[in-house]
Amino acid sequence: MICKKWVLASALILAGMCVLPLGLGIYPQHVLIVSLFYVMMASSWNLLAGYTGQVSFGHAAMAGIGAYASGILAAKAGIHPWIGVCVGAVLAALIGLGLGALCLKMGGIYLSLTTLAFSQILHIIIVNEYDVTRGTMGLQVPALMADYSKLGYYYIMLAAAVLILVILYWMIHSNLGLNFRAVQNDELAARSVGVKVLQVRMLAFTVASAMAGFAGGLYGHYLLLITPEIPSLDLQFYVLAMTVIGGMGSFIGPIVGAFALNILAEKIRDYGEYHVLVFGLVALVVARFAPNGLLGVWRKFRSSTAHPLA
Amino acid sequence: MLAISIMNGLVIGVIYALAALGVSLVVGIMNVVNFAHGELYILAGYFSYLFASALGLNFMAAMLLAVGLVFLLGILIECTLIRPTYGNEMYSLILTFILSIVLQNAYLLIFGPYPNKPPLWVKGAIDVFGLFFYGNQRLAALISGAAVIAVIFFIIKKTWFGRIIRATSQDREMAELNGVDTTRLNMLSFGLGCALAAAAGVILTPVFPVTPTAGVPVALTAFVVVVLGGMGSMWGCVVGGLLLGLVENLGAAFISTGYKNVFGFIILILVLLVRPAGLFGRAKI
Repeated sequence: MICKKWVLASALILAGMCVLPLGLGIYPQHVLIVSLFYVMMASSWNLLAGYTGQVSFGHAAMAGIGAYASGILAAKAGIHPWIGVCVGAVLAALIGLGLGALCLKMGGIYLSLTTLAFSQILHIIIVNEYDVTRGTMGLQVPALMADYSKLGYYYIMLAAAVLILVILYWMIHSNLGLNFRAVQNDELAARSVGVKVLQVRMLAFTVASAMAGFAGGLYGHYLLLITPEIPSLDLQFYVLAMTVIGGMGSFIGPIVGAFALNILAEKIRDYGEYHVLVFGLVALVVARFAPNGLLGVWRKFRSSTAHPLA
Repeated sequence: MLAISIMNGLVIGVIYALAALGVSLVVGIMNVVNFAHGELYILAGYFSYLFASALGLNFMAAMLLAVGLVFLLGILIECTLIRPTYGNEMYSLILTFILSIVLQNAYLLIFGPYPNKPPLWVKGAIDVFGLFFYGNQRLAALISGAAVIAVIFFIIKKTWFGRIIRATSQDREMAELNGVDTTRLNMLSFGLGCALAAAAGVILTPVFPVTPTAGVPVALTAFVVVVLGGMGSMWGCVVGGLLLGLVENLGAAFISTGYKNVFGFIILILVLLVRPAGLFGRAKI
């Protein structure tokens, strides 16, 4: 099923990613680590929006749950960060399951509204519960390893991103993925051939939430300071913009989008805080004129040059 | 304390109801939730501030101009962004969410993070039933909000245009068969929905100043009100808006001010658990 050419290409890219940071300074390494966090976020959000047609605005909130759960356990109870990260992922999955049970029956708009409301509640709780979360001051958390090094974190994040991408690839290309797309394309038709629509949606939502929680936990222990910026609508917008610009509903789109936008954000930051506005305008144009993202545009371009008569 | 909280709850509740009516109108007709609703509310506040404070227009003229401009902007948004997404609600959700972030950041760039506020319409305070003193501006906001809601009810329930709106939200294809130009109606009702957000904005901004992100809690509450009242129900918006305004203010007064905005969401979750179609909604399927 998997084409040999693609296996070779991914292996080459992975090898390239492994040696890439060796020659780089600390700052580019930092940019790459953050990009890998966004790869995990955008790819797992894509599982929801791109493959099952559920627009969740609570994905950043799930990352926040992972980060705060793991951070609080490590900082207050002295539990090892790795255990904390796993607890955070499980907690995010459970909350995702609960949210899904609450509103997936009701259809698309309800899910978007409820997840938006949920992320706002979480934000308010984190800001208000100063004793536990240290509010907007941010919670200081221990690192994942004894001697902090950017390179170490890079490989941890790379391994985590590869793990998540492999799981996503496997899900999308199995029978399950077929169910996902059936549900997205035509819910009624999918139900009529025996796809359990609600279960399929809930599964996607729970898995994506767990991935966001996992990514958030790792990210928190990398930053060493967890602030309400993680479960914020700004971060949610970032993830959405990366997926939409890169190409929603394609496997590579969000990965490309995450790297491109995060690196671009650093470049734009040299001129001032305009990157959110710029990404917003670009995302608006892409979502309006090229719903399959830049990857879709590129594919169209390639197929039109390969078959000029088609 | 209790009386003042109830009064504050009513004032903000009327504004919530007004904002929610705008959302509900658009949901009922187009099945689109406009996530930029709060940003249009804020835009009207900025407009009325600009026209009244910077250009020195009469406050009434400034408000009308602000609402008119936002109405036109709404029509523009519908034509350029929403129309191509008909039948694909997912893209309209994504587009309006991106639009809200773009607008927030544009306001930040243009107006800065500081609160801005148009001049008060009326000054001073009066004694309410000998219980407490209440700001005249807030009372004026309450009365004008209620008046706008009454006008909207009249338009929807009693006029020809309102009949078209009700017919289309009940059965779109049937309305089309009877000669309703639904594309034009979509455009007009989206503009009207935005104008209602703008009306809420110009009425409330003399009391609560505008900042680039001040629209987020108002819009979220409006969404909660729409779900609470039942998608597309007008009475649901009014009852839900007042209920939420009261719950928030009583909760803030007697439980915790920091959690003011959470109480509404808790109600939302309870309603979704017990009665997913909302208080006044028709059950789906």
